[in-house]
Amino acid sequence: MATLKKILIIEPDKVLGQTLSSALKSNGYKVVHVATAQDGVTQADQTTPDLVILELQLVGHSGIEFLCEFRSYRDWANVPVIIYSSVPPLEFGASQDSLRGELGVVAYLYKASTSLLELLRTIEDNLSMRRELKVDAAT
Amino acid sequence: MTSILPPGSMLSQHLLLSIAEQIKLPLIQISRQAEFGTLGLETDLAQIKTLADNGIKLVESYAMGLQLANQNSYELAPEAVSVASILYEADQQLRELARLYNVSLELNIRGRFEPVLAHRQGLQAAVVGLASALIEALPAQNSGQQTTLQLATHRCRYGIVAGVYADIPNLSSEALKRGRKLYGVSRQPLVNVSHNSAAGIFVADAIFRAMNLKLHISRHHRLYGLGVVLQTSSQLALV
Repeated sequence: MATLKKILIIEPDKVLGQTLSSALKSNGYKVVHVATAQDGVTQADQTTPDLVILELQLVGHSGIEFLCEFRSYRDWANVPVIIYSSVPPLEFGASQDSLRGELGVVAYLYKASTSLLELLRTIEDNLSMRRELKVDAAT
Repeated sequence: MTSILPPGSMLSQHLLLSIAEQIKLPLIQISRQAEFGTLGLETDLAQIKTLADNGIKLVESYAMGLQLANQNSYELAPEAVSVASILYEADQQLRELARLYNVSLELNIRGRFEPVLAHRQGLQAAVVGLASALIEALPAQNSGQQTTLQLATHRCRYGIVAGVYADIPNLSSEALKRGRKLYGVSRQPLVNVSHNSAAGIFVADAIFRAMNLKLHISRHHRLYGLGVVLQTSSQLALV
């Protein structure tokens, strides 16, 4: 039996976090939802997620701080991170390149214009891409 | 450069920006919840209603703040108001929102205090705005734990305090002062308290200012919060 893929959601808004969790669970994922960057690191350590969904605006430590911390561990260097944020991507300007490059963000989705369906598709695409890479590496 | 904008309009622009940022949240929440149906899940209509009501209250408070500041359609005639009744009404309005956010809402109006002189609707809108901003902010500070928000009143040296309180040590006078400088400029003016623009707090701040009151950092027993000192009327106290 195939094991469920684990997704870590770091979303400070409780209602939105629950909505995302329900949508992902109903699509066959195992989900952990936390509100802060600190809890994100703790849960990543405990659950070893296959993918992370991250809001950048958090209370205290920001999503960027989480990303820097997360990527500093070798075990998590290749875990795909999707930013799902209320900060419009345009505000990042040229810094978007470093998000995708150094910090390994696989997709930047703006909350206001991204449906749940688009989010689910992006997650599935990135997880299947990762599966293919693993198979390639193994052969 | 001389500004051609009337006095106070910069304040309104900052508030408007803050509201625009904040109002996106309930709209996104509603949109995603409504999308559940297309994914074969059950859409929670009661939740959608609560979220929509919360958005409407925020916009109405903003409009009231502006109208009070401009004194166009509201007369700033103070009346005798019972703080306990204001807090009770706020509690009733916020029950559903608090339940959605897993925040335990408590009402602490045990003290028997004399009425205060205030603009009733302004005071009501400001207290509801403050409390709803904190209801949204509290769960963002620690994952999973249920938090408590208290609507409370107490007497202080300068009058009767009406406030909202929780276990938020990061909410200091310095943080509020910095937040006032940053609102409308930063996406998160109260970065250690709220994950969004905390528009409810700043709209309440503007409403209080329009009523010649000032929002303060306040303490109630062991809790930290935001409150306003209201003057009692010596005439009313004799009754």
